[in-house]
Amino acid sequence: MKRRKFIKNSALATTMAFVPSFLKAFEGAFPNKFGHKNLVIIHLMGGNDGLNTIVPINNDIYYNARPKIAIKKSDTIKLNYEIGFHKSLAPLKRLYDDGYLSIINNVGYPNPSRSHFTSTDIWHTASDHENILETGWIGRYLDNYGRKPHNAIQIDDNLALALRGERLNGIATKQAKQLYRSLQESNFNSILSHYDNSHLTEHNLGYLYKTMIDAKSSARYLYEKTLDSKLSESYPKKSSLASQLKVVGQFINSGIDTSVYYTTLNGFDTHAFQNNKHENLLKVYAEAVDAFVKDLKRNNTFKDTLILTFSEFGRRVEQNYSDGTDHGAANNIFVIGENLKRAGFYNQLANLKDLDDNGDLKYEIDFREVYATILNNWLEVDDRRILNKVFSKLNFI
Amino acid sequence: MKQRHVLHLYWRAGFGLKPKELLGLSELSKKNVVDNLFKESQSVVPLSKDLSYLKSYPQSVLKNNKEKRKELLNKNRKETRILNTIWLKRLETTPRVLRERMTLFWANHFVCKDLATNHIVKYNTTLRTHALGNFGDFVKAISKEASMIKFLNLNQNKKDSPNENFARELLELFTLGEGNYTEKDIKECARAFTGYHYKYDGGFRYIRVRHDNGIKKFFGEEGRFNGDDIIDIILTQKQCARHICEKIYGYFVNSDINQNHVNKMVDVFYGNYNIEKLMRYVFMSDWFYDDVNIGTKIKSPIDLIIGIQRTVPVYFTKTNELFRLQNLLDQFLLFPPNVAGWKGGKYWITTNSLMLRIKLPSMILKKESYTYQYRGNLKNLRIVSVKNKYQEKLTVYVDWKSYRESVKKLSLNTLKDTLILCDINRGTERYISSFGKRPSKKNLVKLMSLPEYQMC
Repeated sequence: MKRRKFIKNSALATTMAFVPSFLKAFEGAFPNKFGHKNLVIIHLMGGNDGLNTIVPINNDIYYNARPKIAIKKSDTIKLNYEIGFHKSLAPLKRLYDDGYLSIINNVGYPNPSRSHFTSTDIWHTASDHENILETGWIGRYLDNYGRKPHNAIQIDDNLALALRGERLNGIATKQAKQLYRSLQESNFNSILSHYDNSHLTEHNLGYLYKTMIDAKSSARYLYEKTLDSKLSESYPKKSSLASQLKVVGQFINSGIDTSVYYTTLNGFDTHAFQNNKHENLLKVYAEAVDAFVKDLKRNNTFKDTLILTFSEFGRRVEQNYSDGTDHGAANNIFVIGENLKRAGFYNQLANLKDLDDNGDLKYEIDFREVYATILNNWLEVDDRRILNKVFSKLNFI
Repeated sequence: MKQRHVLHLYWRAGFGLKPKELLGLSELSKKNVVDNLFKESQSVVPLSKDLSYLKSYPQSVLKNNKEKRKELLNKNRKETRILNTIWLKRLETTPRVLRERMTLFWANHFVCKDLATNHIVKYNTTLRTHALGNFGDFVKAISKEASMIKFLNLNQNKKDSPNENFARELLELFTLGEGNYTEKDIKECARAFTGYHYKYDGGFRYIRVRHDNGIKKFFGEEGRFNGDDIIDIILTQKQCARHICEKIYGYFVNSDINQNHVNKMVDVFYGNYNIEKLMRYVFMSDWFYDDVNIGTKIKSPIDLIIGIQRTVPVYFTKTNELFRLQNLLDQFLLFPPNVAGWKGGKYWITTNSLMLRIKLPSMILKKESYTYQYRGNLKNLRIVSVKNKYQEKLTVYVDWKSYRESVKKLSLNTLKDTLILCDINRGTERYISSFGKRPSKKNLVKLMSLPEYQMC
């Protein structure tokens, strides 16, 4: 576990940090890019058991390693001789049939961490395990190309590391209305109505005022943009992911200047008696995504949206003594969208004969290749400025 | 001593002052004020945590009883949170402010996280014991702490199968700083620390057969070094003194490092590694009181909460609310985010955290409502004005009587000068002048809600 400063690869980060007229909107190299293409990220928190999600239904190693928790062939939605979707994933199977889903197997990174925190940090910051950066990959996207905090939104109260940059942070909100209203009360507005911006410096106090001003303008912007739209009724009730995606849907369908949305579904750390829990979680996931895609399609925005689902790690191939699974390494990720170059299975399922010393899946594709591909091919920015390294691109999009 | 300088000293070396304390100290000379600061912090008082529940979990029972182990783990989770509130109470009420401040600083230098509450208490005691002592003794003591041994996998560091986690952090974070050693140094260092383990009660346990007794080459020296030997060799490197001085300067003086000042600190610190002497030097230096250093630091969430409580005593009757606040403000004591600790400064600030920080005085002192949804991870407080079923007010007891006593016969201006150190934005200055002249509750909250109050 370590953290190091992101090595500034360009003069941009330093010179743009606080130019004298720092209150002015940042004139990025790629103006007006926001809101054209949306990236929606879903983090399955806790480490999703990828093997019980996309099930290798004809693999003896799998069934022998998990005598009590392997998913029976009859409990899957069979794709072919080898592969079955977990039965909770029926909606996902439909997306698969429509050519909207790409499953990338064995995604991970060298020397994998099995700590939730460290591995989450690694995924959030797009770092090597040996050299964990202090800013998130979406944060650095904002640093390089963003103008306002609302260019990247997390549907939550707290902002994940992924959305934290050096110069600009994304914004976290559960609903535009509430964000706006919370600014109307208390002393927030009276302070802002009095400050004298000609005396703001780039020092820490100036940074606080700037953050308040940004908060206010982003809150007002989001509020006004979504004033006429209602939250869709077509999402599952009492589902934490669905209620987040519902808000994302409202934002996207309102055509706001946001390119990245971040959502989470917690509970995947299934160390004990995992099957019922996991079945429910996958159901919540699949139904929420299903409603979201339908919502976007109705509004003709699905074509501009890419959904990336990841988890900080997969789980051990062998079950543990509590009918659960322990922290693993490489895992599958899902990419959903209308414009996939390669829908279906991007690559082969994991080779269960070839595990690492811990009995975990080995990685074949570095997750940063997925990021690089999305940044470059979807958000149309220079991924090297954000990842600070050259990663080869995949051709799923 | 100038009032503004006293307040600056007490914000960096402590947690602010009450108006009358400030006025009193301003009568004294700088030397007297600084002497007094150190004198007050001479004694070491460990956090007092009841650990009697551990009697029901003797090692012999735990060994073969998985259920019992699990039970203890859950118990410890709760107890560690209680320890968190005990620490916060200490921060709020202690007269030994400098030692408390130094303990906080070192807790974010020798960053460590653990599950066993008794080991955490012991670790915390070690931090406060050495907080103003000898740095070399300090590092050696830390390397033998059960919590640290677990946190950085020293117990898995064995002859022939070394684990380099501790060795790397020892060099990178605790002593020399990145780039001042080689990968080979790390490997040799790890070999010297083989055999470290801990006892159930948190004591140090050395397993001789796991120790690699071979010759190690480290920074030009050669020998059958053990862990303490390695630390002694590290201490001979001037870079070690420099690394610590830079870190102290960054935290206590200014995150913009002035190399001239740091050089002088290194001259004082190198060789003797006496922390108290170093800190006394810093607080007595003229440059410590330069305008560029005053009121330019963003308060940590703990500084903010404790600062409010030290002005107006507040009692949290539901500890969960205190946990929620720390979590939302991104500083939950005893639960650092990673081995490098909290980054501080601008990293404390996001749109959401700042909104909460601005609102915090109203929530605590005016019991303005806030809303949260509890989903099990304590990360879901949000502030809204609409009334709905989740709405809640902090269930705090505010000791206004004590506050009124502390500002008796004082003007709002005096209160302002006690609360705010930085230059005030010109527009905001006009805004303050509209408050009137009384240090009323309402005006106190308004002052504490200013962005300027976020600075120290």
